[in-house]
Amino acid sequence: MNGRENSFQARAAVAVQDLSKTYWFLEKEAGLSGSLRALLRGKKVFVEAVRQMNLRIQSGEIVGFIGPNGAGKTTTLKMLSGILHPTSGKVEVLGFVPHRREKAFLKQMTFVTGQRNRLFWDLPAAEYFQFCRVMYEIPEVIYHRNLHNLIAMAEIGDILKVPQRKLSAGQRKRCEIVAAFLHDPKVIFLDEPTIALDLINARKIREFIGEKGKEGDRTILLTSHNMADIEQVCPRVIIINQGKIAFDGPTRDLYLLKGFQKQIRIVLEEPRPANAFSGLGQVREMNGPEVWLEVEPARAASIASHLFAHFPVKDIAITDPPLEKIIESIYKTG
Amino acid sequence: MSPWGIESLTGIRRYGRLIRTLMKVSLMRHMAYRPHFFMMILGKIIRMALLFFFFQAIFFQVNRIGDWTFDQVLLLFATFHIADYLISITFHRNLAFGLPRKVQTGDLDSQIILPVNLLFFVSLEDLDMIDFFSFLPTLGFLLYVFYRLDFAFTWVQVLIYILLLANALIFLYAVILLVATTCFWTTQSFGLAVIFDNLMRIGRYPLDIFEGFWKALFIYFLPLVFIAQLPSQALWKTLSWPFILYAFLITGGFLALAFRFWKWGLKSYLSAST
Repeated sequence: MNGRENSFQARAAVAVQDLSKTYWFLEKEAGLSGSLRALLRGKKVFVEAVRQMNLRIQSGEIVGFIGPNGAGKTTTLKMLSGILHPTSGKVEVLGFVPHRREKAFLKQMTFVTGQRNRLFWDLPAAEYFQFCRVMYEIPEVIYHRNLHNLIAMAEIGDILKVPQRKLSAGQRKRCEIVAAFLHDPKVIFLDEPTIALDLINARKIREFIGEKGKEGDRTILLTSHNMADIEQVCPRVIIINQGKIAFDGPTRDLYLLKGFQKQIRIVLEEPRPANAFSGLGQVREMNGPEVWLEVEPARAASIASHLFAHFPVKDIAITDPPLEKIIESIYKTG
Repeated sequence: MSPWGIESLTGIRRYGRLIRTLMKVSLMRHMAYRPHFFMMILGKIIRMALLFFFFQAIFFQVNRIGDWTFDQVLLLFATFHIADYLISITFHRNLAFGLPRKVQTGDLDSQIILPVNLLFFVSLEDLDMIDFFSFLPTLGFLLYVFYRLDFAFTWVQVLIYILLLANALIFLYAVILLVATTCFWTTQSFGLAVIFDNLMRIGRYPLDIFEGFWKALFIYFLPLVFIAQLPSQALWKTLSWPFILYAFLITGGFLALAFRFWKWGLKSYLSAST
């Protein structure tokens, strides 16, 4: 069937219903004998990478898609972008069924993976940008306008004439992201775009994605193991584990999950014993006049006021628990 | 929808632009390494010369091969290499070796998401423009063979020759696509591609050298006879119309089968982990 689907998608940019993907591989034991056994009578192992997933993402949302290695994140993204056919279930992106690979869909979508390079290895990025112009049929004026803006945002003006093989991983990734945005895609799938990048390059890419996301009509789905990517760019987070969604909600809500405490760090004029803080929260660490308390999120403000009123406070700060810790706990509990 | 997704004049123009871009990129890639570029050209010319000397060496020993005279065999040889270079410039390496590599590494991912017919793109992604340096002398050689044959053929025969040569290219495309597509299940189809490459080379000899089962195999089941023998025979003897029709039908059948097989293969694509 050609054209946009209207069944269950109803205005969502991404709609997924009971989506599953199973694949298989031949199990092989270590060593030459293991290889020989696998060659002659290898055992097929089936893996359910994605299991009965349901998901809706509205146009304009930036969503972090996180999970441990092998959780099914990349497989999901590949089904959403039409690279893989689902084993069962329904997928619609912008009203199209991705694996039908309709031109109108592919021209509105992009997929960038942090671990692969699609640019021409032997040629400068500028040549790949020209190739994109022809491939996506970008009108000359729009192409030059977009290219100019994107080059400035990604800060790659000085490396446009350098062959890709001579660039660092971070520089290459920024060039690739520029190429991915040249045709003004409406839906953007980013698979670990900051992987293996240094702090500066990772920050630049994060800022670039954040800027693009602010343009409003773009839907961005981003996978990352770097929590800074999620915290700084994604207002909504989906946590996937063993092929299933374990959490789906505002990123801020992760900090309110039961069992996770706010951290209050106080620096006093003079040290106090640990029992002086009983009833306020759990003392996690004491280092002379510096004390770390873990408190119930709902009581954090009142406890801070109490500390100000009853202790000689020199400095105080309330912080969320580390996101890594929360997510690790969700991974463990599934 | 046509298998290559080209449905209108605008579509044809767009694909024309894409082919021009791919040709340009291929040339620029080769030119990125200066010594490599010139050595490649030299290598291609040496390859062509060696093949010619090899054939001449055979005819120092024999005057005829089956029904074929020396000049007719030269025609067969030139026709085979015209077909060989044309597929080499265009789809041969892309399908036989490029596709399995991309399936194995998962590099096919970045091509699946391009707004272009995937089969068109993977078939012609890397157009080997350097092979033009071998193709042009081969074309010159073909004209020289025509001269040796005193241009003793009619325009109708030339037309049939061109049509049968086009048929040969389509037949080769279909068979190479069938072989390459197996990589979606086997991940690596290099072995099968090498077997076919070697089989294909049989097509540069008059198939009269084979008898019985092998002759039947190369004429009716894996009709290597389509590659060069049939087009060249069109220039020096009257081919039966039913056999010409048979050649077009079989090629059409192979092509339809290859397209179906490709669609099925693509559905089974599993990519590779990142």
